[in-house]
Amino acid sequence: MLTMHPTLLIGPSDWESDVMPRSEFLARIEALWQNHPQADRAIVYGNSAHHAELAYFTNMVPKLDAAVALLSRVHARRLLVGGGANMLGAARPLTWIENVSPLKDLGDAIRADPAAGQTLLIGADYMPMGFGRAVVEAIGPGKARDATAQVWEQMRRKSPREIEAIRCASAAKAAATAAMREASARGANVSTLLGVGEEAAYAEGAQDVRTLFSLDKGKTYRPFLASIEAVVDPLQVYVAVRRFNYWVDEFALLSRTDDDDLVLEHAIGARDTAMRLIRAGTPVADIATRIEALILPYRSHPMTARALAQRMGLALDERPHTDVGPTFEDGEVYSLRIGVTDGARHHFAGAMMCVRGGCSELL
Amino acid sequence: MNFQERLADICARMREEKLALLIAVHDGAHFIEKPNPVTVLTGFKALGASAAALRPDGSCDLIVTPSWDAARAAELCPRARVVPTDDLGDALPASGTGNEIGIAGLSALPAGLAGRISAALPSVRAADMLVFDAARTKTVEEIAFAREAARIAELGYARLLEIARPGMSEDELALALKTYMKRLGAEDNFLLLCAGPRNRAVQPSTGRRLEHGDIILAEITPSVQGQLTQICRSVMIGTPSQELRDTYALVVHAMNQGIAAARPGVPMAEVCRAINAVLEAEGYGEYCHPPHIRRRGHGLGFASTRPGDVSPDNATVLETDMLFMIHPNQFLPQSGYLLCGEPVVLTAGGAEVLTRARSALGVIEA
Repeated sequence: MLTMHPTLLIGPSDWESDVMPRSEFLARIEALWQNHPQADRAIVYGNSAHHAELAYFTNMVPKLDAAVALLSRVHARRLLVGGGANMLGAARPLTWIENVSPLKDLGDAIRADPAAGQTLLIGADYMPMGFGRAVVEAIGPGKARDATAQVWEQMRRKSPREIEAIRCASAAKAAATAAMREASARGANVSTLLGVGEEAAYAEGAQDVRTLFSLDKGKTYRPFLASIEAVVDPLQVYVAVRRFNYWVDEFALLSRTDDDDLVLEHAIGARDTAMRLIRAGTPVADIATRIEALILPYRSHPMTARALAQRMGLALDERPHTDVGPTFEDGEVYSLRIGVTDGARHHFAGAMMCVRGGCSELL
Repeated sequence: MNFQERLADICARMREEKLALLIAVHDGAHFIEKPNPVTVLTGFKALGASAAALRPDGSCDLIVTPSWDAARAAELCPRARVVPTDDLGDALPASGTGNEIGIAGLSALPAGLAGRISAALPSVRAADMLVFDAARTKTVEEIAFAREAARIAELGYARLLEIARPGMSEDELALALKTYMKRLGAEDNFLLLCAGPRNRAVQPSTGRRLEHGDIILAEITPSVQGQLTQICRSVMIGTPSQELRDTYALVVHAMNQGIAAARPGVPMAEVCRAINAVLEAEGYGEYCHPPHIRRRGHGLGFASTRPGDVSPDNATVLETDMLFMIHPNQFLPQSGYLLCGEPVVLTAGGAEVLTRARSALGVIEA
């Protein structure tokens, strides 16, 4: 789900080699070269809002200024970071790449290899317009090729280490929802409830926590913009947590009561059925059709009517790359979200799942 | 001036410029340095890419992504006609021809979105100056939010003094302060925090653990209802040397001279010169220019970042209700980089500092 983008990313983002060793990144780069045999090098751009590809190859998630990885088949890998020389100290712990230099050197770095043939551009759509033009000029006429979509294809199948990172993110998310449930049981107001949830996730090592909440029983969701002293019961929240650069999310219903609610039951039932049915190769449309039937006489909630699932990993919501696509794919991680409404009552049931061959696994 | 009066001013400017439509665009990646013309025209801070289409009669369409955020937009902007969409490029109005349509914010968009919008609106003229000239001063609402943000910032600083200790990582400290200030009502926070025995600059936090002898640098920048305010502080873990105390006092004195120089009718460059003069008189003229210092303060968004940087080349004439930071934030060879800075709003009598206590070198006994 789209959430409010913070002006500065604050949270632990140092590279942890025991979680994602250098070998993992080297294997990804090698796969890039195998997928693009004509390419001599790749330029990967990322900023604080859009950085999945950059994080995939370098571990770096830019907290403030943008960064660019210059990957070459034959020359040393480089990471160039914005903000000038004084920002290099803050950038170095975030990546396994040792050659870190100011972003202003990018043009010279590109031109320093005039013999380079095809150069892959990854993340070019996120570049500022003038910056992008300068990069293409430095590369030279006819040599730049956008490979962003192909990299997202490469990113889809998650490695065991990525799955483990996602499990760690899920643990932090679980801590958040558990803390919020406890606060809800104590009658906490909305601001306090969101606060304890975020703090619990950070205490479990989360590096970013985003929330949305509903003041109208799930009809609409909103970001935190001002303190809310009111106690809202039931309160529906959406929580997304990033840990080790990987995102997970969840819709949670917080209430001191446990009233029967057929809309909620239908959402849960549809989710559980979807999880049983989803396999590698299962058409998304088939699952959508089955869900529409299962939730009758109710209908899909507008927030999830567009898509019952979303790919998730290094990006929380990066359309169209995180769109679920026509089929569920082996090795991919999805956020499944079933939203159901009867016009007056609105509920969501979801799950983080990994599709592996003949089954789907809850993360 | 309130929000509606500013909007009326923008509409008047549109009529002068013979604009039939003014389209503001923003990509939803909110950033302290990037002004948001959609927020200027509507007061709305969007989740995704958004646009506002304003007509000279004051009627306005607010186009929001994702489509499910439309209800919130309608609630917060009752005078606007809200258009929900999941693709901004497909939803922009194309009415009007040639020079009748102005656009603001296009140059700040990422290339992919900018290209699509340019293709959808091939015959528009830049109208950023029109929007941001009108938003060079803050509305009464924005000033009220800035005051509240300043209150939260000072409480955040007090919290820093309470909890920072050797062994804590920069990231841990920054997160603790961010969540604390959020509990107080700060919906966002540009909290640059780092530490070291001799900092070269202030930068984002890392996993580095605080040590005895470190100087913590903190740009504490909470936002209340979309209005940022900032305080800049330096804190010594341990007993500061007399040299450090004297150096910090010098930087604070420079800041105070800058505050005193900030008056309506004065160009912003004078504020910068007043700060530099103090340091130049002590023989630090070399450190008053790049690469050691780029600016001595800046405007505060998110909507508008006018009046821009406190820099020697900023000729903007200061006016009442302008809001900006005055922060010398100086690297000196004997101390490294030190932060001190206050947010000010200009009144007829000069700069009103929004904080209750001005910068002083903080000390954490450890």
